[in-house]
Amino acid sequence: MNIELLHRPGNTAAKVTLQPGETCTAESGAMIAMSGHMEITTTTHKKKSGSLLKAVKRVFSGESIFLNHFEPTDKPGEVFFGTDLAGDMIDLTLDNENLIVQSGSFLACEDSIDIGFGWQGFKTLFSGERVFWLNLKGSGKVVLSSFGAIYPVEVDGEYIVDGGHIVAFNETLDFSISKAGKSWIHSFLGGEGLVCKFKGKGTVWCQSHNPGSFGPLLTPNLRARKA
Amino acid sequence: MNSEQEDLHEVALKGHLSGKIRGSQAFSYVDIDLEPGESLTTETDAMSSMDADVDLTAAFNGGFFSGLARKFFGGESLFISRFTNNTDQSRRVTFVQPNPGEIRCKTLNDETLYLQPGAYLASSDGVKLGLSWAGFISFISREGLFRLKVSGTGDVFYGAYGALLEKEVDGEYIVDTSHLVAYEPGVSLKLQLAGGLFSSFFGGEGLVTRVEGQGKIVVQSRSISGLAGWLNPKF
Repeated sequence: MNIELLHRPGNTAAKVTLQPGETCTAESGAMIAMSGHMEITTTTHKKKSGSLLKAVKRVFSGESIFLNHFEPTDKPGEVFFGTDLAGDMIDLTLDNENLIVQSGSFLACEDSIDIGFGWQGFKTLFSGERVFWLNLKGSGKVVLSSFGAIYPVEVDGEYIVDGGHIVAFNETLDFSISKAGKSWIHSFLGGEGLVCKFKGKGTVWCQSHNPGSFGPLLTPNLRARKA
Repeated sequence: MNSEQEDLHEVALKGHLSGKIRGSQAFSYVDIDLEPGESLTTETDAMSSMDADVDLTAAFNGGFFSGLARKFFGGESLFISRFTNNTDQSRRVTFVQPNPGEIRCKTLNDETLYLQPGAYLASSDGVKLGLSWAGFISFISREGLFRLKVSGTGDVFYGAYGALLEKEVDGEYIVDTSHLVAYEPGVSLKLQLAGGLFSSFFGGEGLVTRVEGQGKIVVQSRSISGLAGWLNPKF
């Protein structure tokens, strides 16, 4: 599976080239164009092993119940993926490790990756992030998307990321809900409120923009829908 | 784990603060490396990530009453955030505007710049924020009744929706309403019809802002109200 990211970072599309026998799993609705001989299978989990429980869990994490699997029939084929919001994408290669992904940022991965359910505890309720996360496990390539640009932060010690800006992080990092700076009052008055504090050694990928901040800027200009 | 992430289209800052504007024009964000003892002031909720030992204090936007005035008339928030590096090493703060678009840094050297409501993002020490009356013409052209006056010596960061276009004005120049972002003090605003009565209202331009004088103006390539106007009939 070969991944090429085009037109970064403003209007990114992922071009995935597959050899016969290779399968790419993607979030439903992500495909924008593909070769004519590509076969699509839609399941609730991994190909040939539909699990309703895992699908239900995925719905809780804000993803759709179905996943699409793309496989070229006899010769190499290609498929393009895109997202609803404008922004950047990254491709990562996992080497028998776990990656915690903010649901909504997952776009596609190789068949060898197991898409699980990453429970991060009730603390995430307060962070402006979702309560449920995806846990990508195994070895293979992964494509993640974001609203805005993506920048990696190498954490060694402690680092603070504002809620809504997290794309993914290594499982080696421990995260807690905290305040920005020394004082709770200043953190709230400064508009930061609760933030996520990462501890340990690993990488956290952040999205530069936050859909939750752009929405309130736009909505006062929108007219109420006439029922 | 490897990532083929490279930094795209970054601009190194040349003013008082050290850092980079990254993410290209479409999604600019700013990385600032604060030296020990250095401070950075931003509008509220602008920080997206930072080193955990950077201090954050919230303060009224230039005192209680002027903070209130700026909130209600200047389109800015009541509080501002002040990030200070009290450690003995360089510390990073990353901040961004809520909308996608370009961010620019202007280094003031005992100068003044007028910013439209919502355009202000951050500044270094030495930059003073004030509110000044922009007049009814500015209000009618949907640019706000007040304007933010930034003055002093230091770096000021401002942003907009879309890309930013700079134009050196000498004489007069026409800008569509709600597209003006910043202008220098030598420039004043006037209101007029874009063309004749017919082309002004049927050509989609309506009222435009006429700027007169000498100085630089900055215009945004898109506007939020334009996006909303396009979205509204679709729902």
